Amino acid sequence: MRQMTQQTFLYQPKISEVLKNMRKVMIGKEEPAMLSLVALLAKGHVLLEDVPGVGKTMLVKTLARSLDCDFKRIQFTPDLLPSDVTGVSIYNPKNMEFEFRPGPILGHIVLADEINRTSPKTQSALLEGMEEASITVDGNTVPLPDPFFVMATQNPIEYEGTYPLPEAQLDRFLIKMKMGYPTAKQEMEMLARSSNRHPIEDIAAVLTRDDLVSLQSEVADVYVDRTVHRYIIDLVTGTREQGGVFLGVSPRGSIALMKAAKAYAFIHDRDYVVPDDVQYLAPFVLAHRMILTSEARFEGETAESMIEHLLSATSIPVKRNISE
Amino acid sequence: MEERQLFIYKLVLYVTGFLLFCEWLRPLETISHTEDVKIFFIYAVFCFFVSFLQVPWYVSIPLKGMALAFIMDGLYIAERIFSGAWFSVFYEQIIFNTQMIQFQEWWQMTPLFRSLLFLILLWLMSYLLYYWFVIARRMFFFVLLTLIYVTVVDTFTVFDGKWSIIRTFVIGMIALGLSSFAREMDKESIPFKGLHKARVWTIPLIAVILLSSAAAYASPKFDPQWPDPVPYLESAAGGAGPGGSRNGTVQKVGYGEDDSRLGGSFIQDDTPVFEAVADGERYWRIESKDTYTGKGWEDTLDESVTNMDPENITFETFSEEVEVEEQTAFITMERQASFKKLVYPYGLSSLVRFPSDYELLVHVHTGEMDTVKGGSPAKLGEFVANYEFPSFEYNQLREAGDDDPQEIRDRYLQLPESLPNRVRNLASQIVGEEDNRYDRVKAVESYFSSNGFEYSTTDVPVPDENDDYVDQFLFESQLGYCDNFSTSMVILLRSEGIPARWVKGFTGGERIDTREFNDNVQNVYQVTSGNAHSWVEVYFPEVGWVPFEPTKGFTNTTDFYTDVDTQDSEDSAATPEDGEISEDNLGNPQQMDGEEQSSDQAGAGSSDQHNTWIVVLSVGFLIIAVILFVTRYRWMSMFLIRKYRKNSDEQTYEKAYLYLLKVLDYKGFKRKPEQTLRDFARTVDQHYQSNDMRRLTDDYERVVYGNESQRTQWPKVTELWEDLIKKTLS
Repeated sequence: MRQMTQQTFLYQPKISEVLKNMRKVMIGKEEPAMLSLVALLAKGHVLLEDVPGVGKTMLVKTLARSLDCDFKRIQFTPDLLPSDVTGVSIYNPKNMEFEFRPGPILGHIVLADEINRTSPKTQSALLEGMEEASITVDGNTVPLPDPFFVMATQNPIEYEGTYPLPEAQLDRFLIKMKMGYPTAKQEMEMLARSSNRHPIEDIAAVLTRDDLVSLQSEVADVYVDRTVHRYIIDLVTGTREQGGVFLGVSPRGSIALMKAAKAYAFIHDRDYVVPDDVQYLAPFVLAHRMILTSEARFEGETAESMIEHLLSATSIPVKRNISE
Repeated sequence: MEERQLFIYKLVLYVTGFLLFCEWLRPLETISHTEDVKIFFIYAVFCFFVSFLQVPWYVSIPLKGMALAFIMDGLYIAERIFSGAWFSVFYEQIIFNTQMIQFQEWWQMTPLFRSLLFLILLWLMSYLLYYWFVIARRMFFFVLLTLIYVTVVDTFTVFDGKWSIIRTFVIGMIALGLSSFAREMDKESIPFKGLHKARVWTIPLIAVILLSSAAAYASPKFDPQWPDPVPYLESAAGGAGPGGSRNGTVQKVGYGEDDSRLGGSFIQDDTPVFEAVADGERYWRIESKDTYTGKGWEDTLDESVTNMDPENITFETFSEEVEVEEQTAFITMERQASFKKLVYPYGLSSLVRFPSDYELLVHVHTGEMDTVKGGSPAKLGEFVANYEFPSFEYNQLREAGDDDPQEIRDRYLQLPESLPNRVRNLASQIVGEEDNRYDRVKAVESYFSSNGFEYSTTDVPVPDENDDYVDQFLFESQLGYCDNFSTSMVILLRSEGIPARWVKGFTGGERIDTREFNDNVQNVYQVTSGNAHSWVEVYFPEVGWVPFEPTKGFTNTTDFYTDVDTQDSEDSAATPEDGEISEDNLGNPQQMDGEEQSSDQAGAGSSDQHNTWIVVLSVGFLIIAVILFVTRYRWMSMFLIRKYRKNSDEQTYEKAYLYLLKVLDYKGFKRKPEQTLRDFARTVDQHYQSNDMRRLTDDYERVVYGNESQRTQWPKVTELWEDLIKKTLS
């Protein structure tokens, strides 16, 4: 059925391998695993939001382990300084020069743990890197490695001692998701498995850095038809027009949704995007780009529920010839 | 072997379908005045036969079309077939009828056009039944419809459907049995080679059907468990009393042929029939009738028809003793009127510029003048009539005496034996002491203007089996229109031994203009269907027939005068003084054109016939429309499967897939607009326990959402699509 390039065909087993690894460690967490992979392949970043202890960090670690890439971790604390993130130039008495000592951000896969516990100044050091693919240290621009993938985690903002990320910065994340608690059954199994060696110890890397780079460029080539464009636009304009929404999704959001959909389609063995992809990803890609009015929030609406309404009110294009 | 049996099988099914269809045609002759039903049968056989051969459309359509053209030619069109003239006649007919349909003047549709429509209906039925019986093998609906049709026709019309019902039942059951057998085999994929054992199957089937029919026929049956609905419906429709219009319907006013059952209500109709230029208002005579049956009028005596020279018309209603004035009338028939008789003023002497290819056939006694062209009745577009307008002198009439010729007595004193005595008594009571014929006639004429008679076109009763039309009007309803008044007057006069007859025609119409002609100003009258009328002619020895007008609200346009000089003399030869006007003849003109009633039944007869046609046609079309609609997905699928099979482009794929969605929707699988295709496919597959829909959908997604290079080829999945459609519809 599939008519893909030779190369894609080559990578496909590896992708399933990665997913398999993650399944092994993260019991019942296929969805977050999948979404992380989507963000990775779409060259985006992920924001994981949930209470402590549900496996956010474990997820990132598993993913990092499956890839033969540089993995860095930054534990954000209120007193962390920007230079602790980016690195700092230190005077080297030997050759009497300032030498740049790279910070943890200069890795392929960066885990930014509890990003909302640090001050906005430090947060923005990370976020600049995510947006620009480079950082500025002491006036010098230092390019970030390729690939560069940030998985940030945050505690829900209602918790004390946090600095909520401004909306403009949330926009930098391709996908924002929650982990959620495992079911009782899943938790039972989890206990059983962790009684011995932690399964993460057995994870072997399956994708090299080069593999990852080619995969990312393959994903960019996934075909998105105008019919699907139309669907994306319908959804995004829907968020702008829907009642109870203070700020709708920006055009950046449309692009993000399309990119994510490409990666999702690719993971599912397709080189074209179907509306199902868009439908599935919309809550994860769009929700954190909207701000609801306070009335809507008081009525118990959330951005996610808004997206649900929207999805069930937007018709799927099923014909080729759509009006512009 | 297999092929042959399959063929025989189809043939049997198809023939049963045809036989059922014949049950639809059979009653037509009885209920609708359709003549030559045989021709329709033959055409139906032909169409069914061609359909069964399943030749390509470019063969079958011309074949059926040619047959249709030959029938049209044989029945209606005198020109050489397929000559220019033939086509122009045909074309004119179509245009005319289309206009009539447009104006909703159904009754104006010509027989040619109605037959044409009916033949086309047969043509369509042959297609439809082929599909139903042979391809879809679903005939229950048709069998049911046929049964309903036969029972309805049997209940509400004179058609006796006893055998028809039995035939329909037997044929229908056989058809159902066979088709269900065939479908069973399709479903189970029983190969046809097993059919040599069909005897095992078909013989018991036929035996059971025949046995049960025979048992049903022989066994005692209850009498009807409810009263015959027809009288009930009529009384419900026509209100209480003996009223109720005939057939439970209201007829349209107009001139008609059949007067054998009078009564019933009319609605007004102002369709113009002709335009007349005349010196004054004239009654336009068409014919008289002589025999009263108790229900209406028939023409039993007069069969002698003379081919008359239009230049010298010898038909006379009054003698030369009567004072006359030469006048001329110009008559132009309306284009859409299909009137093939002459309407003429009293005293008609010659027709000017009568087309040479027409013949004038005059019925010597009734005065009916048919215009005939090439052997069949034809409409005369316009003509000029010279006539001698009579004026009757009172004294001449009063002194005419009672000395009628035997011939007149024989013909015009007829009364039905069933005529109730009270009518005769009433007649002598009215006439009383009057000592001359004229005064007696006038007494009867004016009897209606008082004594509680009312003019009405609605709520006019139809006499029951045991009622007499005149008796009912005189003693019970006292409500009616021209037919009631004129018929009653004739009967009252005859009871008194005065020869009288009943005359039909038109009143003068409405004056719409004036025209100058030879220094003479004439009026232009427009005569409509609503002017159809009936009145009375009374015989006076030496004078002839004198028109009278008993109908309330109408005045006699006949001219009467008193000759002063001879007032006291016995001499009936009046020297007329032309006194008032010399419009004399009969035309009892009255002014109130608008109110004229149609010549009763006549109008009814013809609109009756039209109605039946319309009902048959529209019911037919309606049924076909309903059937087509109900089965739309089936026949559309058949058609589309064939069509799409031949194409291979993406558009076809798209159309085909979307059509499949429609079919699924129709079968209860509705895709919500926000539901994605694969999600929908999953639901469908779940139901059918397969993954066909999913496979097809995956492919279709590639067409819609995929990029150019990987759009799949439609032919690869055509089969999948066909299977799905069939599965859905099965």
